[in-house]
Amino acid sequence: MIISKPHVLVALALAIVFPFLAPSYWTHVMIIAYYYALVAASWSLIAGFTGQFSFGQMAMATIGGYTSGFLSLSLGVPPLIGLVAGGAMAGAASYGLGYLCLRMRGPYLALTTIAFSECFRLVMSSEFEVTRGTLGLSVPPLFAQWGTSKIPPYFLMLAILGVSLFILARILSSRLGLFFRSIREDEDAASVMGVDTTKYKVLAFTVGGFFAGVAGAFFGHYLQLVSPITGSLGEMGLVISMVVVGGTESLAGPVMGALMLEGASEYFRVYGELYKVLFGLLMILTLRFMPRGLLLPLLKRVAAKIGPQLGVKAASAEPIR
Amino acid sequence: MLPLDPTFFFTQLANALIIGVIYALMALGLTLIFGIMKIVNFAHGEVYMVGGYAYYVAASLAGIDVYVSLVLAIGTAALVGLAIERFLISPSYTGKVEKKDEYTILVTFGLSIFMLNSVLVVFGPWPRRPPSYAPGLFTMGTITVSLDRLVVTFIGIGLLAATLLLLYRTSIGKALRAVSQDREAALVVGINANRMNALTFTLGCALGGAAGALTSPIFLAYPDMGTFPGIKGFVIIVLGGMGSVPGSIIGSILLGLVEVFTSAYIPDPRRAFAYRDIYGLIILVLVLLLRPSGLLGEKGRKA
Repeated sequence: MIISKPHVLVALALAIVFPFLAPSYWTHVMIIAYYYALVAASWSLIAGFTGQFSFGQMAMATIGGYTSGFLSLSLGVPPLIGLVAGGAMAGAASYGLGYLCLRMRGPYLALTTIAFSECFRLVMSSEFEVTRGTLGLSVPPLFAQWGTSKIPPYFLMLAILGVSLFILARILSSRLGLFFRSIREDEDAASVMGVDTTKYKVLAFTVGGFFAGVAGAFFGHYLQLVSPITGSLGEMGLVISMVVVGGTESLAGPVMGALMLEGASEYFRVYGELYKVLFGLLMILTLRFMPRGLLLPLLKRVAAKIGPQLGVKAASAEPIR
Repeated sequence: MLPLDPTFFFTQLANALIIGVIYALMALGLTLIFGIMKIVNFAHGEVYMVGGYAYYVAASLAGIDVYVSLVLAIGTAALVGLAIERFLISPSYTGKVEKKDEYTILVTFGLSIFMLNSVLVVFGPWPRRPPSYAPGLFTMGTITVSLDRLVVTFIGIGLLAATLLLLYRTSIGKALRAVSQDREAALVVGINANRMNALTFTLGCALGGAAGALTSPIFLAYPDMGTFPGIKGFVIIVLGGMGSVPGSIIGSILLGLVEVFTSAYIPDPRRAFAYRDIYGLIILVLVLLLRPSGLLGEKGRKA
């Protein structure tokens, strides 16, 4: 495994000092990047590891956002509890979607999940009386007592991302992760070998949906706005391009993809939508020429080359299987 | 506006047929691509958009005659299709990518992001109105339809008929159908499957581009104009039975009828308009769950 404990600790240390050194605006950018990183990692559990290419992940994030938003608006539930409730609701919805799509493969699964996601977005946009339509639902902030400082939400999102990645990594390195990957490699063979493919596919959907829901609930409270646009196919495409560019077969790939692309999108924002053109192009080229992803394999190659010169033991070039 | 007023009913029927023909152009292209190459082109809506914008550039900006512009727009979409097939789809047939299904889904999805945003950057988000094919109104008894829509419908029917003739009355069509039925057997009898793939994708995209170019004067040209027509195309090929040509045409007319009549008879107009796009999505999910082989598809197909 290329990502080892020292790497994680260094990354964590950098993430902790970041908001004290960088301007407040870039702290904001990093919060958004962590949000995308969590959604990307959760999608990667369903698509990258289990091989179920669902397009409903941003709908799950939006379900988390609306759940927490409605709970805090109507019952006064504090946002921190709302995050968990949003995750639970999205997990339940994702369980349903996964169950619905059990027998579907490839393009059929993609079409059904696109249909689900678009239905949800259309209903949320149309039921103006309840959701305020495309204007978006105003929801309470995370930490009203600390005003507009970006530092408390930054550390909350960092903690959520850290804990979620830890849980996901534990799942993926356990027997469960092996079952997920066996379904990706060959569902029929896995089934013959005694893997309960039905159970583990639905489980991957549920766990992936939960983390997307938590991320979506955080995003809603952080921006104080829940909007159906979060669940659009364009947003889904952004997340997919992050995972594809980062690398589909590990957790570090989606996270790095999200950080890189969100950072790059801020850099290119002055040119309007140009960054989406570049992301689309980058995604196509990565798929065509580097199907294992761009960032992580590139890093591996660099590490293998300069590692020995620095006296570091070269990391295994074998992809994580 | 009485619900059972015959004038209202027949006007809506005319609208349904027009929409059905446009859907049929989209769906026939997708059906050919799925039937012959076994891939779903998730960028088909963006090919439709390319057709719409190519027509706008030719007819509005360059001031070329509308019908010549239509031909140019179809040609542009066909070239785009050929380029996509050569550069991105054909590697999946020569064993250069590991998982063909996942690769083609993701690469065409990435392509749709790329194409949509490229047009957004170049032309901006504002809708453009290219010149109409035939201004004026057509009245028959109490039914009034804009002449434009009528002309578009007839051109659409003509293109559909030409495609069907190509498929069922020429040797190329026979070769295409052979590849669709059994790729290996077609190779054995000497059909160049590689060339058939390129032809299929080009033809499919030409039909999608034609649909976009035909509707752009009516529904305007804007960057995400193709999103819903693309999704409707998926709905129809699933409803008709993936890869079935007659199924896709029947499915198109059915979807046109369902959309127009459900919207026309829902009392709250704002809701009726907003939910117009939902019926197809519900049909899609229901068909995949209850009858995955679709209306006229092969039996025993697994979704």
